Amino acid sequence: MITTAATPSMDAEVLVIGSGAGGATTAAILAEAGFDVLVVEEGEWVEQGSVVPFSLEQMDRQYRSGGVTVALGLPSIAYTEGRCAGGGTEINSGLYRRPPHEVLARWAAEFGIVDLDHEEVSTIADEVERAISVTTVPGPSSAPSEVLRRGADRLGWQNSEIPRWMTYPGNDPAKGQRQSMTRTYLPRASAAGARLVTGCRIDSLDTGGGIARRAITTLAGGRRGTITFRYVFVCGGAIQTPALLQRSRIRGHIGKSLAVHPTVKLAARFADELNVPDDVPVHQVKEFAPDLSFGGSASQPGLVALALSDQWATFSHAITDWRRISVYYAAITSEGRGKVRAVPGLRDPIVTYSLTGRDRAMLGSGLARLALLMLEAGADEVYPSFRGAPLVRKRSDLAAMQAQFSANKASVMTVHLCSTVPMGEDVDKCGANSFGRVHGTANVWVNDASLLPTAPGVNPQGTVMALAIRNARRFAGTERSRG
Amino acid sequence: MASDPRHPRLDRIVDPFAGVLLGADLPDLTLERRGEVVEFVRRRVETMPSLTRFGVTAIGVLYRLLLDVPFGSFAIRFLVARPLPILGEYPRLIRSLGYAYVWEHWPDSLPSGASR
Repeated sequence: MITTAATPSMDAEVLVIGSGAGGATTAAILAEAGFDVLVVEEGEWVEQGSVVPFSLEQMDRQYRSGGVTVALGLPSIAYTEGRCAGGGTEINSGLYRRPPHEVLARWAAEFGIVDLDHEEVSTIADEVERAISVTTVPGPSSAPSEVLRRGADRLGWQNSEIPRWMTYPGNDPAKGQRQSMTRTYLPRASAAGARLVTGCRIDSLDTGGGIARRAITTLAGGRRGTITFRYVFVCGGAIQTPALLQRSRIRGHIGKSLAVHPTVKLAARFADELNVPDDVPVHQVKEFAPDLSFGGSASQPGLVALALSDQWATFSHAITDWRRISVYYAAITSEGRGKVRAVPGLRDPIVTYSLTGRDRAMLGSGLARLALLMLEAGADEVYPSFRGAPLVRKRSDLAAMQAQFSANKASVMTVHLCSTVPMGEDVDKCGANSFGRVHGTANVWVNDASLLPTAPGVNPQGTVMALAIRNARRFAGTERSRG
Repeated sequence: MASDPRHPRLDRIVDPFAGVLLGADLPDLTLERRGEVVEFVRRRVETMPSLTRFGVTAIGVLYRLLLDVPFGSFAIRFLVARPLPILGEYPRLIRSLGYAYVWEHWPDSLPSGASR
């Protein structure tokens, strides 16, 4: 896709802010429907293959704040956000899960979402899966992935390979090419006439009487500018979207109900070399889903050292064996909630999150079960990531490990952020209506993970894409017919 | 590399403490490599979101001051060894960034930081 140079004065019929799973799909649908679309992305366009996946250089170039972002609390929860063309789809695992029907039904009932038709969403999911080439690995999956399958099989726990948005030239499992937004929906939007500007931050929207008329921008080098538009879709993700709305003095249920899947980690050492530095396992263990899921994390040697760092005094010997080590996570569906608050004078919002007592217990039992799974898969040593953690070599070590666990001592992190502008007709708990238009506004839509009313319990980007396409089509139908 | 002018003095706040902490943790890491790691840690602190950076800087000032007072190094060892909320997060941050950098760039380093 050819990007357009940012200028101090720009205009569009539809301004799409953000180019990730929500923004790119919105741009493609609206451009193909004949709207004049301008997509504005704060980060840069980074060609796939130009940075090593899951490396510190990738974090520098494609993550917000170099990947060092945190939701404050006890414990604080580290999170990551994409900040590049294509957003999170460029940097995450690429694991795809369909929107779960039971979750959609619960959302519709609890949040008053109208016309959330399962068949329509399923049809869109089919379409998304074709567009981004959702597929399983051709042939055997990687050794770290096989660990999850083997351990779960021995315990009789439900597990499966999760498909990814990936193509495999020559059917070579080692040569997967991620079919992220820069490969799929952004080029499609461009082909339909959409323009993409990178390196342009939207500071705020000028609003009055429920109508937004222009966006205030900061361009490279600190130059200021404006973009005038008729409609705006805010698709900056679950942190930046509510922060922008708050900076634009749009009130309501905005940024008050952040939901995440908190995760804790461990590293496990096996007899044979298995580490795959630039990829992640594709198997997940769903025996205890949706409350608890297990999967594999990026495990390049720097990240193995990071996983050992909480108990370096007793775990550091393992780092010389990093080729025999891989990192795994236990993720929970949290009952806690967080907040995103824009503060006047600060460029970045304040993010907070509170785990409940049940969440803390679930993280501890989840980590113990994950350690058990590793032992069953053949690990000779397991290194849980929390301060004071004991080395786990056998089943009888697990009780002591769980007893010593405390969420406050753990390195808790998350990559799934959502629910900061929940969709639905119930204005007491929803920031946007059933199709993403922000309550109290006439021309401001949200179309990203912020809309998901709760954390879905599965990798959320498939759900984000399907709902974004649904909402964009509804917008195109109603607004075009109004002329 | 010069500090970002938006964040003056971070080099004076972050670098000395990070150097001491990583020097104690990884005593055989060469001075040249340690300097590279410390610079990386400071750059990451400089790009943190506003309030987090402010908090980290404030705690960093405390640790930096402790380096200069009598028995300061004892106090630092005490603080670093304990899983304290907030105060303990600063050394934890420096360690996690530093270790990640060392083993990404020199993956065959020994636990002491020595090259193999």
